[in-house]
Amino acid sequence: MQRSLSFEIFRYTAIALFLALSLIPTLWMVSMAFKPIAEWQASGADLTWWPENPTLDNFRFIFGQSASELIVALERTAGRPILASLLSATFGTLIAMFAGTSAAYGLSRFGAGGNLPLALVQLRLFPPMAVMIPVMIMWAFLGMIDSWWGLALIYGIVTLPFAFWLMKTFFDDMPREIEDAALVEGCSRWRVFLRITLPMMRPALASSALFIFILNWSDYLIALLLTTRDWVTIPVYMASLSSSMTGQLYGAKAALGLIAAVPPVIMGIAIQKQLVRGLTFGALKE
Amino acid sequence: MTEIVLDNLGKSFGDFTALKDMNLTIAQGEFVALLGPSGCGKSTTMNMIAGMLEPSEGQIRFDGKPMNGMPMARRGVGFVFQNYAIFTHMTVRENLAYGLKAQGVSRAETQRRVGEIAQLLQLTDLLDRRAAGLSVNILQRLAIGRSAVVEPSIFLLDEPLSNVDAAFRAVMRQELKSLQRQFKQTMVYVTHDQLEAMTMADRIAVMDHGKLLQVGTPIEVYNHPADTFVARFIGAPGMNLLDGRITGGDSGPVVDLGAAGHSGPVTAPGTGPVIFGFRPEEVHPDPNGPIQMAITMVERIGARIILHLAEGPHVAKAVLDAETQVPDQGGMIRFSVPAASVRLFDAQTERAL
Repeated sequence: MQRSLSFEIFRYTAIALFLALSLIPTLWMVSMAFKPIAEWQASGADLTWWPENPTLDNFRFIFGQSASELIVALERTAGRPILASLLSATFGTLIAMFAGTSAAYGLSRFGAGGNLPLALVQLRLFPPMAVMIPVMIMWAFLGMIDSWWGLALIYGIVTLPFAFWLMKTFFDDMPREIEDAALVEGCSRWRVFLRITLPMMRPALASSALFIFILNWSDYLIALLLTTRDWVTIPVYMASLSSSMTGQLYGAKAALGLIAAVPPVIMGIAIQKQLVRGLTFGALKE
Repeated sequence: MTEIVLDNLGKSFGDFTALKDMNLTIAQGEFVALLGPSGCGKSTTMNMIAGMLEPSEGQIRFDGKPMNGMPMARRGVGFVFQNYAIFTHMTVRENLAYGLKAQGVSRAETQRRVGEIAQLLQLTDLLDRRAAGLSVNILQRLAIGRSAVVEPSIFLLDEPLSNVDAAFRAVMRQELKSLQRQFKQTMVYVTHDQLEAMTMADRIAVMDHGKLLQVGTPIEVYNHPADTFVARFIGAPGMNLLDGRITGGDSGPVVDLGAAGHSGPVTAPGTGPVIFGFRPEEVHPDPNGPIQMAITMVERIGARIILHLAEGPHVAKAVLDAETQVPDQGGMIRFSVPAASVRLFDAQTERAL
């Protein structure tokens, strides 16, 4: 396609602007994570783009090794919240993907569940705040407050509609003939599902799981309400990184934010091939 | 090598009747084409033979054994889908071996049979390629190979050539035919392309609106269509059908075609309205011919000329040799139709007389 020069200029300017908007704050966080206290606290004239004396003090600080300049002592270190986030987000994603995929397959192939999709969408219409207090009471009864499994369960429930809807669209797009072909060759339904359908759905499963993991990973509200001390997650822990003496500990927050960005990025890179390959199901005629 | 009997077969989806009163016996090793426009019930019939759909009425029997309710895995059919339904996450070899693996065939045997079928379909060089990204022509051969490798006694093909390009289609027509001669399976082939049906099938079953209209060898169906639908559908272009009336002439009854003149003497049971049918190839230009029509278009396609004719309410086509001298577009042509080539149809029922 032949495009005019002015259009190309416009296009690249727009892309550059968009990248700047989305990346500069991230870069700022990265830069701040390596700044010593004097630099991130500085205001006005002393502000620098890059750390002049790069240091790992912020990281040492949140992991409990007190840095020389920071006199405040932390109530707890970042290790436990990172573990809490990893466990609850991972298992929450597994629950949502397992239940969502099963439900989506049943509905897409056998029409099981009739109006289920509508009911699930309605679930998303509730403001989370309105539901969370009753959930909190239930979880208290069940003894699941302040535990990673209690958090994982509610994460699974809350993100189930997403998993269901995403997977249903993917199943609907996959031609039934592919399964029929395997059935005709003498496979059982289960074998077809496990050996043909799921492997062909790998890109769909990967992208849905990543999406849901990120939702769970960045949740603040639910974790704030359902955890108290042992199993607070990264976002909740991050909010606590301040004190009356020092105010907001931006350096420590930036360091933690940088750590928090790692798992989704690793996941994204790991499944990149699946994401890029896209959904060329069945090599069908188009 | 199985005989298939369709006994009063019917299928409805809610209020919609997809197929009604289908009676057809497909002999052992026979190649039958189910031919008809889309929505005629041919794919529904095929899916019921394969076991993907349960009949609403009637029975399907393989070698006398009723198949209703039998899961498709146990019917011993091979199915080639219109969109090939290739397992794209596997290699060509894994695709070919899939059915054998599912049936628990030993490794060595699987290896041997996959090798054989790959050789036959010229897939040997591609065995270790992933199926995703192969060209349509190769996917098509792979789909046939995957079904053929388990040596099913019945081979069902659902418009397998509708997506491949024209040149390859001609090649595949021949290959499919020779494949069937080699394996001697009972073969049912669904198509809307009358040329495929004519060139490959032992018998053609023409269907429309969920009904079986005629079954016969390609020549029977071509020469003696049972009704006007079959007459129009078989042959390219299809048979010309003009509304006329049988009247008494000097030398026996003729069909009066109004402004277009009249036919030569015909053998007719009575008088009254009739549909006068003749193949475009049977138009014989003749300055003294009894039929006269205006030429609305002249198509020269190499070896032949196709004339589009019109007169009053009638439209017709004529296929002539390229050397024939014909008037230009807008001119008139007089022609005759040999009495042996005339087909008459009832004006009401449109059935052959």
